[in-house]
Amino acid sequence: MSKTIALLITLVALATSNHDLSGRWSGNFRVDGGDHNVPQLFIFQQQGTKLSGSGGPNEGEQYPIENGTIVNDDARFQLTTGEWKFTYHLQRAAKDDLQGDLKLESVGESRAAKVSLKRVKEK
Amino acid sequence: MRRLILNFHLAVALIAGAFIALLGVTGSILTFEPELDRLLHPAVSYVKPGRRILSLGEIGAAVSRQYPDEPIVAYLPSLSPEFPTRIILSRGIISVDQYTGNILGVRTRGLTFLGLVRALHVRLASGDRGRLIVRCAACAMLLSLFSGLYLWWPARRMRIRRPWFSSAFWFDLHNAVGVFSFAFLLVLAGTGIVIGFEDQASSLLGKFAGSSAMPVKPALRALPSEHSGLELTPDQAVDIARAQLPGTVADRVQMPRFGGSYQVSLVNTRDRTLGTRNSVSLDPWSGQILSTTRASDISLGERILAWNQGLHTGAAFGISSRIIVAAAGMLVPVQIVSGFWIWLRRRTIMHSSRSE
Repeated sequence: MSKTIALLITLVALATSNHDLSGRWSGNFRVDGGDHNVPQLFIFQQQGTKLSGSGGPNEGEQYPIENGTIVNDDARFQLTTGEWKFTYHLQRAAKDDLQGDLKLESVGESRAAKVSLKRVKEK
Repeated sequence: MRRLILNFHLAVALIAGAFIALLGVTGSILTFEPELDRLLHPAVSYVKPGRRILSLGEIGAAVSRQYPDEPIVAYLPSLSPEFPTRIILSRGIISVDQYTGNILGVRTRGLTFLGLVRALHVRLASGDRGRLIVRCAACAMLLSLFSGLYLWWPARRMRIRRPWFSSAFWFDLHNAVGVFSFAFLLVLAGTGIVIGFEDQASSLLGKFAGSSAMPVKPALRALPSEHSGLELTPDQAVDIARAQLPGTVADRVQMPRFGGSYQVSLVNTRDRTLGTRNSVSLDPWSGQILSTTRASDISLGERILAWNQGLHTGAAFGISSRIIVAAAGMLVPVQIVSGFWIWLRRRTIMHSSRSE
């Protein structure tokens, strides 16, 4: 009986950890009509359906995640980097792979981009 | 040869004329984008100058009283006595009267009429395909200008014959406008092509004119969290940054919560092309300068690109060059319409003579 409970706990823990986005994710986005990829680095903290942490172009320049939610591998969050607001809608394409859309909005401007992120393996 | 060039001139105009005209009109509008934007949003764009300008801290406190749950992302201090100071929040840009602390209103983010005009000018308000078409249209404009000059040269027609809107009038109008605006449109098309291929131009200039001399940002810590001691105020951050770059004024102060350090952008109002390329990054606790970018330090390649941008937008020589750029842009549709009219009339005459 105790072995069964231990196995169940392990399975639940494994299943939960598979869905947990917590950790570092790096990748880039490319604006429609843009010439180049813009680097991205996120440090996610997931607590249930709440997603927090920070993101930005690199480790040195990080902005707080706002209004972050994650439901069934569907992550939505925002960053404000100044004049620009970044609204992300990402979905898990594979275990360590997030793909999705980004809307960039400033006063007067609105642009769309595609985002691709991969989990950074901890050494 | 002349026949061939004429057919080429016609073909280029028929294929790309509509796009070239669109670039001209949208470019003219964008030359006065800040003024037009203020005209469209007067309530959040003007203040009545008072005796004392409030400090950024006082202005920030007034905004925080109104929006207590929203941290200030950045301050955009006013550079003119009659324009308000603006404060960036997550919800949008707040205009504040820097003399009274009164909040004038909020500009929310999102596409506006002028934003659409800019999107049309840069990429036909669409993605990669639109940007490609814009690049091709700029190249077509350049080809059209040179072929037009070749066709104009033998007769060197400058006067416009009457009666108004006769065949001769349209022909002369096309010639006269073309030759008078040639140099300006050549600059606009040439600089536009460089902007359209800026990544390629930048790497090419990097090879020949040297790469950027701008310092690489040092590795900063991530978002500041718990820390002992007092954080610098935005006013202190501005004072330190201005001491580092004398002769400049702060036009943007990004708070350390958003990015990891104080980022102070400074403007040298006497330098129209490179004046905005000054910034200082500060440790929010110690006030230590983490990096400084000086306009005087930027590479020759970047200077060339900045001048290219200044010539294209008309900002390089102030209001006079902006008026010239706007006027030249407005002449583009005149050229397209008059050229199309000449072609249509000739086609009709040829058809009728053949049928006779």
